Amino acid sequence: MKLTRRIKLVAFAGMLALGTAAPAYAADLIAIITPSHDNPFFKAEAVGAEAKAKELGYETLVLVHDDDANKQSELIDTAIGRGAKAIILDNAGADATVAAVQKAKDAGVPSFLIDREINATGVAVAQIVSNNYQGAQLGAQEFVKLMGEKGNFVELVGKESDTNAGIRSKGYHDVIDDYPDLKMVAQQSANWSQTEAYSKMESILQANPDIKGVISGNDTMAMGAYAALAAAGRKEVIVVGFDGSNDVRDSIASGGIKATVLQPAYAQAQMAVEQANDFIKNKKSPAEEKQLMDCVLINGDNAAKLETFALTN
Amino acid sequence: MPNKPTCSILAAPLIAVTVGVSLTGCKILPTPSAENGGKPPAFNADKMVGDIWAAKAVPYLQQKAGPFPEVHALAKADPAAAGAKYGNPKKQANSPWTFSIRLEGKIVAANTQSRAATMDVDADGDGKADARVQIGPAMRGTALRDSLDFIQFNDFTNQIDFAQFGKAFNIYADKTVLSKLPRDALEGRSVKIVGAYVMGSGQDLPLVTPAEAEIGPKP
Repeated sequence: MKLTRRIKLVAFAGMLALGTAAPAYAADLIAIITPSHDNPFFKAEAVGAEAKAKELGYETLVLVHDDDANKQSELIDTAIGRGAKAIILDNAGADATVAAVQKAKDAGVPSFLIDREINATGVAVAQIVSNNYQGAQLGAQEFVKLMGEKGNFVELVGKESDTNAGIRSKGYHDVIDDYPDLKMVAQQSANWSQTEAYSKMESILQANPDIKGVISGNDTMAMGAYAALAAAGRKEVIVVGFDGSNDVRDSIASGGIKATVLQPAYAQAQMAVEQANDFIKNKKSPAEEKQLMDCVLINGDNAAKLETFALTN
Repeated sequence: MPNKPTCSILAAPLIAVTVGVSLTGCKILPTPSAENGGKPPAFNADKMVGDIWAAKAVPYLQQKAGPFPEVHALAKADPAAAGAKYGNPKKQANSPWTFSIRLEGKIVAANTQSRAATMDVDADGDGKADARVQIGPAMRGTALRDSLDFIQFNDFTNQIDFAQFGKAFNIYADKTVLSKLPRDALEGRSVKIVGAYVMGSGQDLPLVTPAEAEIGPKP
């Protein structure tokens, strides 16, 4: 640490001695913190935010918290320590994150939240949130229609620590529970994981061979579930996902998974960086802290227009 | 407003401690406010809607609403102009417009087999359906909530509360208005609706959620 500082000082002195007109500081830094990039959704967020930040002349620090609130807290310390001018964050828990974002705020680093909201206002500068509830209602309405309003179904739920796992499940049930002839025979978490969804689906199917549909909290679990159903010769089972990934798009196109719901991840991350830029350069906050972005139903009608979490016209 | 949750966080353990001391041996359950992160435990979407329905929501719709054919024609030609006149100006930036409308016409088709029952209404007398009206009990979307300019997402703790508030409008409409409508032999009857619909991009008929509805006698 000391040595680094000395080297920097020497370099600085050297630059002064040379009398160059170049500014003696590096470009401002924006930290981009998301869950693991194993899920292409979060990768799209990071890529979108990074591209916009670079376009606006920032350096970026891209980090992943793996949905671990403690790790997230450490990463926020790192961002503060590195002198980040702003943090773009897809957070690791609606309650657990409040203190971490407050810590950054106290250190003078503004946070711009994407995708998931936190249970406090006035701590982050912006919370640009996918309307997961509205999206889940769209997915569930399509599911209900495909099921013909009746039959046995399974729900795969996401990671419990992730606010959106609960929101989506509530949104699904908000619609589905209005139909008494739709019966949920199993509800299990597969932690957003494709492999876990595969093995869970295999055992659920053994216990409940008479299922007609599977509604999944995200696309990776939908992919895992559909693979298990296909392996068991049950391709006719209706599967609906959430996120709008290219994998599910391709599955829809080939008659596999029936529908998903697109969250505009890429556009949302870019919007957050634009708002951060406005805050850094002009001290301007967005008109509203909490901003909802609607989700869009993707099925056979529009799947072809989907590319990397964005719809083309 | 930001002070409120802090108060209940502080209050909750105090109450629990006091009860614990005076009633030794009783099982202490967490208070609702401690459990849900300090949110006031009083959030009750159904009650909130009940409180504003007749006092604010219906009067707002009645005052804002334009005749459906006019609104829909303007929405297709110039969405921004239609939004300024009949829409909620405080909508979320990337959300489509929600328009307040009056719809009068004749029922040309009905689907009462689905729990999400609908009737198709011809508003311009050409015999073809111009709008699809939801008559419950299951209803899609949150058009009634989203038509009201005095409802803001930022006034809610999170999107779950906001969504439940949206659904409470549908439940209230179903309970007080739609469940009382006739269900049989709807075709050919006249209908009068005050409600809202969200501008769509698809080919489907505009889906109207009613706040007031009258269906005429069998022809």
